[in-house]
Amino acid sequence: MTVKAEERHAQLELCIPYVFGRLNPGNRKQFEAHLATGCEQCRVELSGLYEATALLSLLLRQEAPPSGVRQRLLGRISSKRPEQPRSERPQQQQQQREKPVTPSLRPERPWYLYASIVIGILLIVALIIFVNQLVGTTGSQDKKISELQSELQQVQEALGLLQAERVEMLSLASVVPGTAMYGKVLWDPAKRNALLQTSNLPAQPAGKQYQLWILKEKKQYSVGVFDMVSGKSNTLTAMPLPVGDTTGIEGFSVTLEPKGGSSQPTGAVQLSGGKK
Amino acid sequence: MQQSATNQRQQYDREDAELLKRIQRADQRALSSLYDRYAPVLYPFGVRMTGSREVAEDLLQDVFVHVWEKAGSYGQHNGSVYAWLTCICRARAMERIRSTNQKRRGNEGGGGMSRGSSESEQNIAAAETIMTLKGITEEVRNSLKSLSKLELRLLELSYYEGQSQSDLARMLRIPLGTIKAKMRRGIQKLRQVAAPEAK
Repeated sequence: MTVKAEERHAQLELCIPYVFGRLNPGNRKQFEAHLATGCEQCRVELSGLYEATALLSLLLRQEAPPSGVRQRLLGRISSKRPEQPRSERPQQQQQQREKPVTPSLRPERPWYLYASIVIGILLIVALIIFVNQLVGTTGSQDKKISELQSELQQVQEALGLLQAERVEMLSLASVVPGTAMYGKVLWDPAKRNALLQTSNLPAQPAGKQYQLWILKEKKQYSVGVFDMVSGKSNTLTAMPLPVGDTTGIEGFSVTLEPKGGSSQPTGAVQLSGGKK
Repeated sequence: MQQSATNQRQQYDREDAELLKRIQRADQRALSSLYDRYAPVLYPFGVRMTGSREVAEDLLQDVFVHVWEKAGSYGQHNGSVYAWLTCICRARAMERIRSTNQKRRGNEGGGGMSRGSSESEQNIAAAETIMTLKGITEEVRNSLKSLSKLELRLLELSYYEGQSQSDLARMLRIPLGTIKAKMRRGIQKLRQVAAPEAK
């Protein structure tokens, strides 16, 4: 399907309002119908505009999301499979047909045939009950699997960091009197990945989260938030470091902040450690 | 200098495309790598658009669940993977903003999403503390010098808050023609940064 040159030009004018979401529903539908015709000019124009406008978000101050988001994400995808591109989808639907049923002449059947049918039905009923019970436990098993996958992910990331050519470390000590809390931060200066290990931190109160901070040039930057799961005394959390140059790192601290974290420390410091 | 930034961006594009191929094969580590690379950009983007950290967290998950499910639908015609992700994130954010606005209109009869003045200027300085996408971020920051304050402000209001040009003209008391010209010029400048080799 070809489009006249003048018409293409007119549609090109709609690319900017389309990208900025300013077309009314009618015009948007019309423009999308035009795109579906495969107009190369508009495709190139849109692609360029998307690239350009995407740069605007690079101007925002970058901030790592709380670590729980990644765990929830991994939990959400654990039961999903990526869709395959159309060209690679196996053509298997036609294979699903049932075998044709041949008409029977209903010969006389002995009594034991009926008895075996009854026993068979009873077995199926018993099987259904068993499967139902099994399904009940599968839900909690799925949750457990999702948690284990998250933990495995963390361990894999930890191992990945430890394999780095150079790893730096700072110990964190408790600043709360009478507690046995401690921790350490390891980081790969080349990739700016960090690994936080903590021990004996109590589970955070409702509506709160622990937050790791990096101190550099007398300023504190959020590295990310993490949770203490009740019943576990140790945590291992991988986080990207939010600083450009790791040579100026002066220390780390952990505070208790409102859920989701704060832009600057507001809560009580729990752990702290610095370079001498 | 510009050449090295462009090379760096091309390197990112190649790595991203490889990650997407692995995601199509259900490789969770590839999704994690893509997440590590872009979540620190997309998360504040979501916060900026919706004004809520909690909503931005959900938004971020939605974006990467979409990537997980639809990685196969990504093609070179979508532009770079980063542009594709931003596009998904913005579309999802706009859906939420529209539904929030509809609810709000139902309750109090209208209201925008305006959240004060331009944040870019103060954030430009803060951006230098970030390493992810550092080369590209610096390149963008430098390009800002060619954008006037008004051009940048108009782009932000339009991009993040979905303000129409006539709304902007009314709000800022600037003739509509000037708004259109400034925005077009701002976009043109951004495009030169996005594809310097094109000009």
